[in-house]
Amino acid sequence: MVSTPAATFEALDDLDAINKLYRERRWSDGLPIVPPTRERVARMLAGTRRKPDEVIATLPPGFGEATVERIAINAVMAGCDPEYLPVLIAATGAVAEAQFNIQGIEATTNSAAVWLVLNGPIVQQLEVNATFNCLGQGTWANATLGRAMRLILQNIGGALPGDMDRATQGQPAKYTFCCGESEVQSPWEPLHVERGFARDVSTVTVVAAEGTLNMNTHSKEAGELLRVIAESMVHPTSNEYCHGGEPWLVFAPEHADILKAGGLSKRDVKQRLWELTRMPARHLSVKEILRAQASRSDEYGEIKPETLLSISRTPDDIWFIVAGGPGTHSVYVPCFGNSRAVTREIL
Amino acid sequence: MTKRGKAALTICSTAFKTLGHAQASALGKKDLPIAVMPHPFGLRKRDEVRAIAEKCADDIVQLMTKAGAK
Repeated sequence: MVSTPAATFEALDDLDAINKLYRERRWSDGLPIVPPTRERVARMLAGTRRKPDEVIATLPPGFGEATVERIAINAVMAGCDPEYLPVLIAATGAVAEAQFNIQGIEATTNSAAVWLVLNGPIVQQLEVNATFNCLGQGTWANATLGRAMRLILQNIGGALPGDMDRATQGQPAKYTFCCGESEVQSPWEPLHVERGFARDVSTVTVVAAEGTLNMNTHSKEAGELLRVIAESMVHPTSNEYCHGGEPWLVFAPEHADILKAGGLSKRDVKQRLWELTRMPARHLSVKEILRAQASRSDEYGEIKPETLLSISRTPDDIWFIVAGGPGTHSVYVPCFGNSRAVTREIL
Repeated sequence: MTKRGKAALTICSTAFKTLGHAQASALGKKDLPIAVMPHPFGLRKRDEVRAIAEKCADDIVQLMTKAGAK
């Protein structure tokens, strides 16, 4: 499938004037952009062998055609290097898969943001941060890839705040949210291998993240560590319990080592967390019990106050990566609930 | 539905009116009738919700009649 070239316009060769124009037309995320001149877009397109007019996906809620060229334009605006373009092409295809539910994610009042998780050799090649402050500021690839994803969703998908993006407050991760998995620090197989890819393949996984919760615990015992993490994940205002969701975690390498030393495989960790996060339905509000009833009657039949609701439908719906520097902090990433992550190979 | 020649109408609350019109327009159906109800419902009493529903039912009949007349 191919499409027409992106529209072009003439502008003064002046950064301030161009940013004023982008601000007026709502083509930015609120931060200054790198002007996507023909020359810069051509340099960006050199990062892929795909044709500029190839349509990668049609993106709700505005149903814009995400061509390679339009993805490249937004990548330039975000400050990406040309080598980053294949990541964004793969991520754009991933968010458009039905199971991800980008229509719901973009049009909802929920704060959901798209989190990009990178695995495989690309993490080293692009110097994606998977260690110190990997969810924070300071790394070009993390910052600009996440930002470009947001600009693609906004400028091609049409998800402008207050218009088709109906988020009540949104969240800071809607500016940018991208990291790698620290595969060398993980005691388990990396995420992309778990999801069916070869270890030497590079992938991007897209996740509909509601936010991040820092979980600081100095526990040194696997069972206790999982208990306090599970209790941190339990919250009655979570979409996960209403829908049977897909919660995510980022384990600090220190915490992962404790769990491994406790003899726990990835599957064991998931099973334990799934059991420990079960919550009596009475903790939900009456309205949320009705929402859970509408979504999960196939699992539970009638949901009563004493019904023990699981955070996800199965233990395998709990996902985690290992990332971060030294320290006793892991991260809970509660998710949208009505979404399933998608992993795609970066070609 | 309208592209298949079927009469169609969307119902949404005021919080999603802008989204509804924008998506209809993006899909080439700028004139898609949309019945809009006040947002939110959560704090309303049963008789208020009933009144909103009755008003909405009237709006639906009116919008569909208007759409059918075109």
